[in-house]
Amino acid sequence: MIDPYYLQQFTIGISLGMVYALMAIGFTLIFGVLNVVNFAHGEVYTIGAFAGIMAIAAFGPPFLVIVFIVLAVGALSGFSLERVAFRPFRRFSDEASLKSRAMREATLMSSLAMSIIAREAMELLFGSEFQTIDISYLINKPISLGPVTIVNGDIIIFLVSVLMLGGLQWLLKYSAIGLSIRAVSNNPLGAKYVGINTDRTIVLTFVIGSMMGALAGILVGLYYGAVFPSMGFIPGVKAFVAMVMGGLSSIPGAVIAALVLGVAESLSTTFMSSVWADMVAYLFLIVTLVFFPQGLFGARRERV
Amino acid sequence: MSKDLITSAVLKIAILAVLFAALPALLAYLGQGYLYQVVMLALIFSLLAVSLQLVTGIAGLLHLGHAAFYGVGAYIAALAGADYGIGFTLGLPLAGLGAAAIAFVVALPTMRLVSIYFAVATLGIGQMIFLVLQNWVEVTKGPNGVMLFTGIDLFGYTVDSELGTYFVVATIVCASIWVIHRLSHSYYGNALRSLREDDQCADAMGIDTVRLKIEAFMISSFFAGIAGALWAYTTGYISPMDFDFSESILILAMVVVGGLGSIPGAVIGALLLILLPEALRGVGDIRNIIVGFVLFFSILFLPKGLFGEVPALNFIRRQFGSAWQDNPDKQKVGWK
Repeated sequence: MIDPYYLQQFTIGISLGMVYALMAIGFTLIFGVLNVVNFAHGEVYTIGAFAGIMAIAAFGPPFLVIVFIVLAVGALSGFSLERVAFRPFRRFSDEASLKSRAMREATLMSSLAMSIIAREAMELLFGSEFQTIDISYLINKPISLGPVTIVNGDIIIFLVSVLMLGGLQWLLKYSAIGLSIRAVSNNPLGAKYVGINTDRTIVLTFVIGSMMGALAGILVGLYYGAVFPSMGFIPGVKAFVAMVMGGLSSIPGAVIAALVLGVAESLSTTFMSSVWADMVAYLFLIVTLVFFPQGLFGARRERV
Repeated sequence: MSKDLITSAVLKIAILAVLFAALPALLAYLGQGYLYQVVMLALIFSLLAVSLQLVTGIAGLLHLGHAAFYGVGAYIAALAGADYGIGFTLGLPLAGLGAAAIAFVVALPTMRLVSIYFAVATLGIGQMIFLVLQNWVEVTKGPNGVMLFTGIDLFGYTVDSELGTYFVVATIVCASIWVIHRLSHSYYGNALRSLREDDQCADAMGIDTVRLKIEAFMISSFFAGIAGALWAYTTGYISPMDFDFSESILILAMVVVGGLGSIPGAVIGALLLILLPEALRGVGDIRNIIVGFVLFFSILFLPKGLFGEVPALNFIRRQFGSAWQDNPDKQKVGWK
């Protein structure tokens, strides 16, 4: 019989992993389509959390309404992020400049710059400390299941994430939008030649990815009751780790890696002080990069 | 004697005169401790930006954890001074060597990675070092930071005035930047540039790319460690928050704004990003937001930086003078 304590840590790990998965998918989608890393993804997560608590403070809507508000704000921030930080650097669309390192590094820097601006602006507006949230909205009411005590947030996060992931899979597999996203990520130039509007597809990818990121933000914000301007950095790094472990362009890989990461992190607090738990993710990152450079589930890539 | 050689001598003397005569005279005249801090901060960040330039601009490895090595240097110097009574004379090289040693250990596995993978690996390593600085309370004293009460001692002679500290910092920063300058404008620097342009091609031509990358990373971390020791001794108090990810980004922004690959550009970028927020201090605590905007607009409008690599190289070539002139008497040296 497994000690209930481990079972409990395991459930917490799963819901943590689900949140990382939501974020990692945003990264993976954008990386797949543009071949660049979006460093401002962590700030989309923060923006989502802030949008949610502002909605709560303003008119206290029911939970589902908050979810939709956050999704809308996420979509808007993804759209403007693409406009400001990515489109100006996509002036040329021949194959050489699509694959060039200079262009990748320019968008890397510009998204980094946008993330600094967004974070500092939020710090100026709201202050750097924790925001106060209406207690009744927090999703950490305990539920006992036999010997294991979990909170309702675990279930909500799990359900919402599964719904979003399922929806995304459906979108990618069976809709015209999903088809164009897959085409652009497979071969941008080829997609353009067969008449797909690549700019529109890229915007849509940002919108979808940022919706997921923003939703992860509000879920975590309500789960821990901690919303502050720099909250997005660490989950952003971890989602990135999950994406690298999953093999960069594989969505199921990223989800599995995110779950592994979440469970490992939550179980590691049993053996060491929780301040060192972040170390687990960084160790995973280095070990993956050095020993499994293609990721655990990815297709072979030329060079890493 | 060509005209360029004279300008070169004039330029050198002008820079040294400003650094070692005009600026200290002005500071002593104004006599404010705060201004000394700002000027020394600008000098230290110039050294940090130049040392990052060697790795990111010249060898082309995007490094997102430079502040961690700066922190290692600062902690080694501060702990050696506060806990073991090792003074500045020994603590300074110790800080540089310690940072370089950690860089070597870190570089061995990660130097085979390229482009974004390398950037992410350095991000992870920088965060790991930051976590150790913050949480290894027994040694680093954790988030409380380390107080360093001893002043700078140079071979038994103690420097305790602000002016004296300024001279020590300025001398060490100048000497370090000069070393990196000569290193990057030499055959060795050209080999590093070949890594940036195409490392597979460089490999095929017989350049040991992995070794060169490790060396460049270690040299850069050495000087970051030196800068950290200077920071610890000028402020007298360090805490892990001085070395977090946003500092790495600040240093990177200096390099990008100044111009990737250009040593004078890195200095210009550092001066701009330290002095501009200080000048605008009255507006509020908006230092980082300015950094963000300067970074964004410089990528958008000045992708080559304020003083880009090509003008910088041409400029420095002229400074080297006769080596590049057609001189029938002497054999040619340097780049062709």
